[in-house]
Amino acid sequence: MGADARPQLRMTHGRQVEYGLGVYSGKLGMWVFLCSEVMFFTALIGAYIILRWGSSQSWPDPTKVLNITLTAFNTFLLICSSVSMVKAYAAISHGDQRGLRLWLLATVAGGAAFVGVQVYEYLHLIHDGVLPSGFREGGEIMEALTRAGLPTGGHELFGAAFFTMTGFHGFHVSCGVLCMIWVTIKAFRGHYTQAHHEGIEVIGLYWHFVDLVWIILFTIVYLF
Amino acid sequence: MTAPAGAAHGPDAAHAEHHHEPSFLRKYVFSTDHKVIAIQFLFYSLFFLLVGGALAMLIRWQLGFPGQPLPGAGVLGDEAAPGGVIAPKFYLSLVTMHATYMIFFAVMPLLVGTFANYLIPLKIGAPDMAFPRLNMWSFWLMIPAGVLALAGLVVEGGSAAAGWTAYAPLANTPDYTGVTTGQILWCLSIAVFAASSLLGSVNYITTIINLRAPGMVWFRLPLSVWALFITAILAILAVPILAGAVIMLLFDQILHTHFYLPAVGGQPLLWQHLFWFFGHPEVYILILPAMGIVSEIIANGSRKPIFGYHTMVYAIIGIAFLGWMVWGHHMFQSGMNPILGTSFMVSTVLIAVPTAIKVFNWMGTMWRGRLWLHTPMLNAIAFVAMFVIGGLSGIFMASTPVDMYIHDTYFIVAHIHYVLFGGSLFAIFAGIYFWFPKMFGRMMNERLGKLHFWTTFVAYNATFFPMHLLGIAGHMRRIYDPNAYRFLQPLQPLNTFISVSAFVLFAAQLPFIVNFFWSMFRGRPAGMNPWRDNGLEWTVPSPPPHGNFAATPKVLHGPYEFSHPDTGEDFLPQDQPLPTRPGA
Amino acid sequence: MTTVEKKHPPYMLVWLWLAVLTIIEVWAAQAGLTRRILIPILILLAIWKASLVAIYFMHLKFEPRRFLFVVLAPLPLAVILVVAVLQEWGK
Repeated sequence: MGADARPQLRMTHGRQVEYGLGVYSGKLGMWVFLCSEVMFFTALIGAYIILRWGSSQSWPDPTKVLNITLTAFNTFLLICSSVSMVKAYAAISHGDQRGLRLWLLATVAGGAAFVGVQVYEYLHLIHDGVLPSGFREGGEIMEALTRAGLPTGGHELFGAAFFTMTGFHGFHVSCGVLCMIWVTIKAFRGHYTQAHHEGIEVIGLYWHFVDLVWIILFTIVYLF
Repeated sequence: MTAPAGAAHGPDAAHAEHHHEPSFLRKYVFSTDHKVIAIQFLFYSLFFLLVGGALAMLIRWQLGFPGQPLPGAGVLGDEAAPGGVIAPKFYLSLVTMHATYMIFFAVMPLLVGTFANYLIPLKIGAPDMAFPRLNMWSFWLMIPAGVLALAGLVVEGGSAAAGWTAYAPLANTPDYTGVTTGQILWCLSIAVFAASSLLGSVNYITTIINLRAPGMVWFRLPLSVWALFITAILAILAVPILAGAVIMLLFDQILHTHFYLPAVGGQPLLWQHLFWFFGHPEVYILILPAMGIVSEIIANGSRKPIFGYHTMVYAIIGIAFLGWMVWGHHMFQSGMNPILGTSFMVSTVLIAVPTAIKVFNWMGTMWRGRLWLHTPMLNAIAFVAMFVIGGLSGIFMASTPVDMYIHDTYFIVAHIHYVLFGGSLFAIFAGIYFWFPKMFGRMMNERLGKLHFWTTFVAYNATFFPMHLLGIAGHMRRIYDPNAYRFLQPLQPLNTFISVSAFVLFAAQLPFIVNFFWSMFRGRPAGMNPWRDNGLEWTVPSPPPHGNFAATPKVLHGPYEFSHPDTGEDFLPQDQPLPTRPGA
Repeated sequence: MTTVEKKHPPYMLVWLWLAVLTIIEVWAAQAGLTRRILIPILILLAIWKASLVAIYFMHLKFEPRRFLFVVLAPLPLAVILVVAVLQEWGK
């Protein structure tokens, strides 16, 4: 990682500037933005941690309320779309336009599928009486838990935390999918070249970040 | 380096624009030029400063002349002011929205929207921000944010009335406040504001790291740029916490979640912790850019280099760093864990150290300087003095046992206004007087400027200093009718005195408003460098052309080479070489 | 493990690891382990997976060292916030 002999200046848009951190503006800007996203999810996830372990309340067993198998598959889907993203980037770094386009399409498909599965999951949960305000009395889940003699204490906070965290994550994925569609259209128009494909790397960073947040969320929301 | 094919990069698109003159809309309304955006922020914030001030006048009317009908208050309607007498619920809206407008829609857009946007590219020798289009979005997002914030005043149930700190469960329980839509609108306006703030901060951070002209190494950056850089970092990390907290507050109201509602396990203290984890870095966001501006102007007005430039930089960083670990001092009375409280007391007292260093360095800069007491300098000196007072009252509050007595009294209100008005606002005035010539190519009138300064300074102290006394006497904040308490009744004359001073203070802004608009069209032409200053912005025409610099400047030294013994002038712009001494 | 050619990490290998770790996670959660053992294991696995994504997919392994400061800045703050507030309920 030879960063020893750091040059003093670099070129940007035809002008000389101080070297800075040695990272081009698009990438730096995206990372700075991702830092703010880390803090945003810290607020939401932190609230969940504090509410769950701070209070003396019990917490419903997520494995009994949520569809772990489906979500595990969804997690895998998102990871796959992260891989296809990175393959797209690798392709254009080698000048492979066709590879770029195909892998981008795969990424869009993976992301869209993830959102689709989440919507399906939400609809199912709401139908079974799992709401942001908690488990509905007389709803399927509440009934099932009571019949099995399992604790339902804390279900209001469970609903609130679940929908807020996964909802905002899903919102971020959806925004990502929209941007990804736009990037794919530009790729089909030949906008990216081997010499200049910063846009692919930058949106890739966002995409991986969204995957990263899901890795954390999946663990602490679905498995704990 | 080959030009990207078909890419619509900022500067390339700008070059295309030069070939055909952009329409009025593109040039002045939907502009991506940081200078235009800065001026848009300037007008926007000054408008909200006026609105916030007007609300303050209504507050002071009720406190100074309790239960009296205010002439002309009929326009407020029967719910807010039946018979012209301000109603208690409306009063709570007033204190809430006064603070909300002032903090989020006036001071922040002024310091961070206006000055960051205007000064950063110019002072580092860049043609514009790193992301000009994102910059434009950052401004335009403030429009829906502002509309949402103002809308609260006209909806049924009135605006949010739980204080700008919106503590749960008051804020998320309509049964307590009688406010439904208003609080929701408040949450939404803050969320949109957060988005605007984040886009701006991404731009400022990236621009300062990546677009500095050759020779503009880190320790040659002007202190205003350092301050704005650190502020943007604080904003990037703190504002999202507010966004998350406010969203959960919103959901408690519209989705029936229970994040902060204790009945089913929610935690009101969670709101307080999240809010103040944002809230404390927020107050440093409100003061650091002001300190940066003041550093520039004091060095200029003293015709001397800033005393201890490196230390000033480390102090800014120190304040920002420590600022993350003191948030609990806003919550000493919340019932939080006392051991946690003690740790906050210690960290809060510590933060006085870098702050004091800065104060001593400003004084050291002025010491034995050939003072040029132009209007910006007067305002900057006032900043130092007033901020010291505000900081000293802060030391009182930092001590938990003392705070137990003065928390939520007017002592706190005095502190807030000494640091935000005596501090930030005087610095803002200083900055406007100082950079107005660069923005508009014309000088503001010095006589009107000095009139504005002195009347404001006197009226401001007459308004806010007595509040320390009110607070020590036990006068609570945010209360509608102090006379309901026997022990506060003797304080009514003081309240009336404060209110009258406040009315004078508001009226004292008239010369500023007149000066501002008149000078824009009829002021004396400014020339390139009317203040004989060293920053790179003074090496280009006033106002600077699109793209700022004809050729990329080469920076040769730091920004405070005033009264260098070997130069003919008492200033030396950063792109002028230092004189070489024979035999050196 | 595999040689890194042309600064491109072994993406497919990382993908395989991520899949394996996910399977272990899901199995552990439903294996009926006591929570005292389960929670630390799950946290470890989650951090491991997240780090793989950050280091390889997000290319952090190949960025200048100073840049890592930018990236890692929010993490201590996140920890401070959560740990400090948890003290409220004295566990």
